[in-house]
Amino acid sequence: MQGEILFLCVTVFTAGFSIALGVMFPAIGQGKACSQALESIARQPEAAGPISRTLFVGLAMLESLAIYVLVVSFILLFANPLLRYVFK
Amino acid sequence: MEEILNPHVFFVFLGIPVTKTVVSTWVVMAFLVLLSFLLTRKMRPVPTRLQNVLELFVEAILHLVEEMSPGNGKRFLPLVGTLALFIGTSDVAGLVPWLKSPTSDFNTTLALALVVFFAVPFYGITIKGVRNYFRSYLSPSPILAPFHVISEITRTVSLALRLFGNIMGEEIIIAILFLLSPLFLPLPMMLFSIFTGIIQAYIFTVLSVVYLSAAVESSGH
Repeated sequence: MQGEILFLCVTVFTAGFSIALGVMFPAIGQGKACSQALESIARQPEAAGPISRTLFVGLAMLESLAIYVLVVSFILLFANPLLRYVFK
Repeated sequence: MEEILNPHVFFVFLGIPVTKTVVSTWVVMAFLVLLSFLLTRKMRPVPTRLQNVLELFVEAILHLVEEMSPGNGKRFLPLVGTLALFIGTSDVAGLVPWLKSPTSDFNTTLALALVVFFAVPFYGITIKGVRNYFRSYLSPSPILAPFHVISEITRTVSLALRLFGNIMGEEIIIAILFLLSPLFLPLPMMLFSIFTGIIQAYIFTVLSVVYLSAAVESSGH
C-alpha cells in the first residue's frame, strides 16, 4: 500500500508543479511579446493592424506550450496510463 | 470531471458510439445552415438589416485573407470562412444548456486540423503545380526536406491541441467554479469564455491562412 500512496503523491505533485513551471515561462515570453508590440504600436500607430495580427499569431504559438503542459498534467491526473500497473 | 475528458456516449448507431459532442456538432451545423438559409433566402442588391450581418462576416474574413495572402482571397474564402464560423459558433455553443462545445473534444479539433493539413498540399498543387510544390520541400537544401515534413505534422498537432486545450480548460474551470458556488461565481468566467472562444477561432483562422499562403506563394528563394 505504501508504494501506491507514494505513486499518487508523486503524480499529484508532478501535475501541480509542471503547471506552475509550464505557465511561468510562457507567461514571461507572452509579456515580453506584448510589451514590445505595444511599444511599437505607440511608436507607429498606423502599423497597428499588421502588428496586432502578428502578435496574435505569436501569442498563439507561445500559448500552445502552456497548453502542452496542461494536457500532460490532465493526463497525469485523470487518465494516467500507469495507474493500471500500480493498482492491479 | 471524468465526463469532460471522456464524453459520455448518447447512443450506439450501427456499432459506432455517438457521443454528446457529435450531437452538439449536429446542433451547431443545423443552426449555421438554418441561419444562412433564412438570411440569404431573398437577397437584394441593397442589403436588408439581417443580410447586412452576413455580408459583414464575409467581408471581414475576405479582408483578413486578402491582407495576408493578396490575390487568393476568393480562393481561400470558402474553407477559411467555414472554419472561422464553425469554430466560433461551437466555442460559444458550450454556454448553451444541454450542449457541450464540440471543440472541447480532441477528436473534433484534430479533424479540423487535418482538414487544414490536407488543404495545404491541395491548394499548393492546384496553384503551383506538382513539380513546383514538391520542389519547395527541397528549397534551401535537400537535407532539410525531412524537417519540412516534421514541421507540417507537428504544426497540425499543435493546431489541434491549442484549440482543444483552451476550450476544454475553460470548460473545466467553469465546472470547478460551478461545484464551489453554482449561482454567481461561474458567470465572469463564462463571459470570459466567450472572449476566449472567439479569439481562438480567430487564431485558428489566421494560422490556417498563414499555412495556406506559405504553400501557395511563388517561391522567391
